[in-house]
Amino acid sequence: MIDYFNELERETERLYEIAGKARAKGLDVSTKPEIPLAKDLAERVEGLVGPEGIAKRIKELERDRGREEVAFQIASEIASQPVPDDDPAERERLADQALRTALAILTEGVVAAPLEGIAKVRIKENFDRSRYLAVYFAGPIRSAGGTAAALSVLIADYIRLAINLDRYKPIDREIERYVEEVELYESEVTNLQYSPKPDEVRLAASNIPVEVTGEPTDKVEVSHRDLERVETNNIRGGALLAMVEGVIQKAPKVLKYSRQLKLEGWDWLEKFSKAPKKDGGEDKVVVKADSKYVEDIIGGRPVLAYPSRKGAFRLRYGRSRNTGLAAMGVHPATMELLEFLAVGTQMKIERPGKGNCVVPVDTIEGPIVKLRNGDVIRVEDVETARRVRSDVEEILFLGDMLVAFGEFLRNNHVLMPAGWCEEWWIQTLLSSDNYPESDPLKLARHRYNWNDLRLGAEEAFRISEEYGVPLHPRYTYFYHDVTVEELNRLREWLKTGRLDDELVLDLKPEKRILEILGVPHRQGESGVIIGYNDAFALLNTLREPLEDSDDTLEALNRVSGVRIMKKAPTYIGTRVGRPEKTKERKMRPAPHVLFPIGKYGGSRRNIPDAAKRGSIVVEVGRATCPSCRVSSMQSICPSCGSRTVIGEPGKRKINLASLLKRAGENVSVRKMDEIKGVEGMISADKFPEPLEKGILRAKNDVYTFKDATIRHDSTDLPLTHFTPREVGVPVSKLRELGYTHDYQGEELEREDQILELKVQDVVISENCADYLVRVAGFVDDLLERFYGLERFYNVKTRDDLVGHLIAGLAPHTSAAVLGRIIGFTEASACYAHPYFHSAKRRNCDSDEDSVMLLLDALLNFSKSYLPSTRGGSMDAPLVLSTRIDPEEIDDESHNIDAMDMIPLEVYERSFEHAKPTDVLDVIDNVEKRLGKPEQYSGLMFSHNTSSIHAGPKVCLYKLLPTMKEKVESQISLAEKIRAVDQRAVVEGVLMSHFLPDMMGNIRAFSRQKVRCTKCNRKYRRIPLGGECRCGGNLVLTVSKGSVIKYLEISKNLASRYPIDPYLMQRIEILEYGVNSLFESDRSKQSSLDVFL
Amino acid sequence: MNEIIGKFAREGILIEDNAYFRLKEMDDPATASSEIIVKIKKNGGGKFTLLTSEMLDDLFELTEEIDNPAEIKARGPINVPREREFDFRVITDTSKRSYTSGEIGDMISYFNSRFSCLRDLLKRRPELKSHVPIADLRGGDDAVSIIGIINEIRTTKNNHRMLELEDDTGEITVVVHNENHKLFEKSEKLVRDEVIGVQGAKKGRFVVASEIFHPGVPRIQEKEMDFSVAFISDVHIGSQTFLEDAFTKFVKWINGDFGTEDQMNIAADIKYLVVAGDIVDGIGIYPGQEKELIIRDINEQYEEAARLFGEIRDDIKIVMIPGNHDASRIAEPQPAIPEEYAKPLYSLKNVEFLSNPSMVSLDGIKTLIYHGRSFDDMAMSVNGLSHERSDLIMEELLEKRHLAPIYGERTPLASEIEDHLVIDDVPHILHTGHVHINAYKKYKGIHLINSGTFQSQTEFQKIYNIVPTCGQVPVLNRGVMKLLEFN
Repeated sequence: MIDYFNELERETERLYEIAGKARAKGLDVSTKPEIPLAKDLAERVEGLVGPEGIAKRIKELERDRGREEVAFQIASEIASQPVPDDDPAERERLADQALRTALAILTEGVVAAPLEGIAKVRIKENFDRSRYLAVYFAGPIRSAGGTAAALSVLIADYIRLAINLDRYKPIDREIERYVEEVELYESEVTNLQYSPKPDEVRLAASNIPVEVTGEPTDKVEVSHRDLERVETNNIRGGALLAMVEGVIQKAPKVLKYSRQLKLEGWDWLEKFSKAPKKDGGEDKVVVKADSKYVEDIIGGRPVLAYPSRKGAFRLRYGRSRNTGLAAMGVHPATMELLEFLAVGTQMKIERPGKGNCVVPVDTIEGPIVKLRNGDVIRVEDVETARRVRSDVEEILFLGDMLVAFGEFLRNNHVLMPAGWCEEWWIQTLLSSDNYPESDPLKLARHRYNWNDLRLGAEEAFRISEEYGVPLHPRYTYFYHDVTVEELNRLREWLKTGRLDDELVLDLKPEKRILEILGVPHRQGESGVIIGYNDAFALLNTLREPLEDSDDTLEALNRVSGVRIMKKAPTYIGTRVGRPEKTKERKMRPAPHVLFPIGKYGGSRRNIPDAAKRGSIVVEVGRATCPSCRVSSMQSICPSCGSRTVIGEPGKRKINLASLLKRAGENVSVRKMDEIKGVEGMISADKFPEPLEKGILRAKNDVYTFKDATIRHDSTDLPLTHFTPREVGVPVSKLRELGYTHDYQGEELEREDQILELKVQDVVISENCADYLVRVAGFVDDLLERFYGLERFYNVKTRDDLVGHLIAGLAPHTSAAVLGRIIGFTEASACYAHPYFHSAKRRNCDSDEDSVMLLLDALLNFSKSYLPSTRGGSMDAPLVLSTRIDPEEIDDESHNIDAMDMIPLEVYERSFEHAKPTDVLDVIDNVEKRLGKPEQYSGLMFSHNTSSIHAGPKVCLYKLLPTMKEKVESQISLAEKIRAVDQRAVVEGVLMSHFLPDMMGNIRAFSRQKVRCTKCNRKYRRIPLGGECRCGGNLVLTVSKGSVIKYLEISKNLASRYPIDPYLMQRIEILEYGVNSLFESDRSKQSSLDVFL
Repeated sequence: MNEIIGKFAREGILIEDNAYFRLKEMDDPATASSEIIVKIKKNGGGKFTLLTSEMLDDLFELTEEIDNPAEIKARGPINVPREREFDFRVITDTSKRSYTSGEIGDMISYFNSRFSCLRDLLKRRPELKSHVPIADLRGGDDAVSIIGIINEIRTTKNNHRMLELEDDTGEITVVVHNENHKLFEKSEKLVRDEVIGVQGAKKGRFVVASEIFHPGVPRIQEKEMDFSVAFISDVHIGSQTFLEDAFTKFVKWINGDFGTEDQMNIAADIKYLVVAGDIVDGIGIYPGQEKELIIRDINEQYEEAARLFGEIRDDIKIVMIPGNHDASRIAEPQPAIPEEYAKPLYSLKNVEFLSNPSMVSLDGIKTLIYHGRSFDDMAMSVNGLSHERSDLIMEELLEKRHLAPIYGERTPLASEIEDHLVIDDVPHILHTGHVHINAYKKYKGIHLINSGTFQSQTEFQKIYNIVPTCGQVPVLNRGVMKLLEFN
């Protein structure tokens, strides 16, 4: 592993050198690459927020302290440094720095919160003249997460004590202001994760010893106005997040740390730390169906199963090589059948968490469907799914959902009863006392290949009888989903036939029972035909009539002879969430270069068009040479070679025509029809990019983002193992990259060997690869034609990208993570090691983020392009982590399972709803490997899959062009799936999507702004003159179209399905309102006149 | 902190020891405190009032001033004149006169209509006779006067007020210096999109204001009334919190079956009943409303309304406009409640259905009826205005001569070709609702009436500590305001 990291670092340094040489030419804003490299957390913190030299101190402290302790210690050390004459401004600055550095340590030096989430720290005065500390939070504190936000308040208190300040003494009006703001925030802005009661807010506001205040975040005014110490009359969103989702919601944690640090004055938090509910009978945990995920139903995003409904997804424990970190496995046949599930599509789920991403795993069960001709079949592969799709009348069972133990652990959800499955059966048998160790049936080889074992029913019964193990899952049907009475009726019916090669029965209503049990059968002219094995299994299970009981399975076990287990004790409800994504990032309109051309380039911001005017006047910053006073747009004076100084931006006349001509000559590009610039620079300096970069980007058909890097965004998916074949890279190439052995230690020779993914290697989508090929072309052109250096990538096809370095970067964060391209996937997603995603602070429940070609980022990124506004440095690579240490990344990744099999104890204890933490002793996961070499290798998976990109690659939602079609498909799917209630879906779509949307838009229509088509200026109210100041045409910002968008489709749904009259009437009233707004009564009258 | 003291403290009211102990002794100190607060605020108690024991007496007396007919048994039928002559006239009603088709042109003509109507009113002022178009302003003019619509109101770093003023020729920034205390104070009540006149000096790019004019209302001559009118609003039939008992008592009283002799005499004198919107609770007005409804069907809500209003003796003319809960469009002006939803109500012969707003003449008394949605925006935008004192808001609206001046906030405005929310005719009575809190004031001879509600405190109101005045009905008894309580 050391070799691997060293290799990555060597290569990174090589790129850094090239970029350094290029930048040294002085053609850019600065003469050096602007992304500092950081090997570990300490260096990241220093790179992100500073102060200089702090990394060393952090590393010293880390030796014998935990992360949080280090943060507190650092904060107090920075804040209490001696200051000459105790200069208050300097003291304030130190307190500010201290808080940011400490918060950066708590957030692993990745997220932007330490930079953006804290606006400033001030030392202010109480009304009794004592001094206290005030922290001004800003909106992006959200990205820190609740715990870090809460701890930053605690740190501020720690700082306050370190610098001898009094506590903040709020007056009543200030306290009431918080109460009001919390309510206003929830009613006007958005819901908080936790809605505190007014008294809870009062308690917190009057006791927090520092002032939690902040910048106005929303244009909502409070009624507690003009308070002396609160600078704004608007809502302070950041402060509320820190107080509510921070201190209040994370009270137990804050309390814990305050005690650890012996900080006084936090005991009041006890009132928030509710003792866990234990009402009497502690042993009996009842888990109810949870319908939260279906409270909102969105048009075109089908509900796949209602909560805990029979026929929904069956819970199956385990992790495949492409699941974990909130990605869960579904059989590709299910995905193909439903069409709405593609690789990487998000699902909102009933449990264990809120959402996940779908990935294909084909060693678990697929769906059971009933066809139009009456046949019931198991769909076990994608081809069958595709073939029968149009003939499916009902989806009786959706198949398995493979959920890692770590998902329950992560969500702190009690274990749910496990479904009876092959891997459990085989473990039970092999570990049974009755089964000889000599393995007479030669079953040990099936321990990990349970699907290869095809048992006949007779044999299955024989094994169960002989060794006293429950019946094999293949012949265990969904008995618990029917009643005793139904089973008895079924039994009577079965007895009417005679079992030869098959069992043939007259068609009777009892067939339905067969369907619900999930027994495959055919329906022909002669009646219902059940195959030998299934018929044998049924007849030998239902040997006697069942005695009446509420517990079907118990009654069944009394007659069955062999033990019958619960096939699917836990069903999981789901609905489709956000579709998967892989796409180059384009701003709108998408620029090739950050060069301002005002409105001269038309709405497309085309530079050649603007250049036709010769000179233009735009606001730009320029650099001046301090010695010869020549002004330029370079960091080194073109005439004397000294370092230039960037001046104040201002309106300047620039000769764009000659600038463009010269730039074209510089890079030997004759003429480009379209090179798109920007209207104006949004950065403080307004210093533009060299035009040459734009010409070359346009030539290579790539676009730049606001920070001058080129991005490609994809849904994140986890991967711990892969085969050369599926990522499309030859064995020889992989061997070069260090993949010499497969995951079982065999020499790598074949394309189908399974390899353990190295932690910083990524498998990018083909779409991404094709874009990066063009980016590489651009970078090479840039090196050769602009900087006069050698071409570097020389990439012709996507295969040439393998082995090259990328930087991964997530929104709301400011630290990029180094990665290496190792292959390609057909899926619309980026497969990478869970550590890699976690290092970016992402998980895999449909988060998406970007990759950049590393040399592009090093050459072109500059902080000086970033907007000076709040949040401007989010999503910018302010620092690059070169090495992933699982101890220093988001601890979500520590829950990743590393077992090759789910221990029997987990299955057994799942029936008593054990807490995941109670069975940890039998679990092997990343947490247990931290700090050891095994943290990087030997992470096993329990369920293999034959391909990480089987099944659909694009969700049907994205393929259907109109909402009408999306909703039609959604509803016809609802009609087919047994676990879905069609009427509820129709009502849900109307109630939670279409009606609120229309109501919102009608409201928005009657108070809308207008916009100029020419200069895009917006007016809150239309000017009396009816036109823009620039003379342009004004248009509505909320169109009639957006108001009536869902009216027709809603009416149509209401007329076709028996929906709640309440909804019908709401639609009618809305329609009345819409007509009144868009149809003149005059025209109605005149049309009446015709008839009069 | 003690709950009672806290309650008062939050409203900026200090409470004297004696008063506190008296309150504490009461059966339900919390409710009593809330009631007292409402009364103090209604009676003009602003910030930092000291509540004394004496004041408490006065305030309690206020309670006793309210007649409570429910307490007294009826003493036989009253004399109601059988055949009545109505001189009822609709002055403005926008129902079936919505000519907008939602185009941008409609929007232009809407605001131009507002501007020119109000400019015409302002032009009558002598100070503004010589007003000039903004585009014609020249530098160095010492005394200029202009008329414009307010685009934006800002406060500068030095705490001066800047008004962006626009007319049909251009725009200009008007500065109100904070040293000019009187004017500065006056400018605090300005809101966006109202039309004002400004007198001042042109200095550089600005006009420094020396005086600001509203279209205003003149003091009007009081008109004799030889009959009585009852005002209600916000009945919210269909809601779980609709107070049916109180409403039934009210109907009994108006029919002469309830109350003291005096009260029955008033009832007998009632000729008109005005209902200022929110007759029913409606459906789908806010998320989750279905859980708070007792009647989930809009037709049945109006059916129930017809049953309840149908009890009222039919020689009383009932005038009804819609509110934001009724089945109409939400944008103002709202057309009358459509017949298709309220058939049973329409079958009552004595009910008139009009738009929100509309103006009627009740035997010569011009009554402007407006539900009051714009109060939300006024209370949000102007310091010192609150839902409790909707009479003060009405006063402002009258001076501005517009019922909903602020565009783009909570009050949806339809871009009608004419601005029907302009108050071009000065009424004798302005009747509103929406805030669920009674208010009354006689302003320049005009009766400003907010008629409270028949809905008890809702969950929403509980959260915001809004204490509604339930079942209290203002009656204009031959020109004298009387408040009757039916709770």
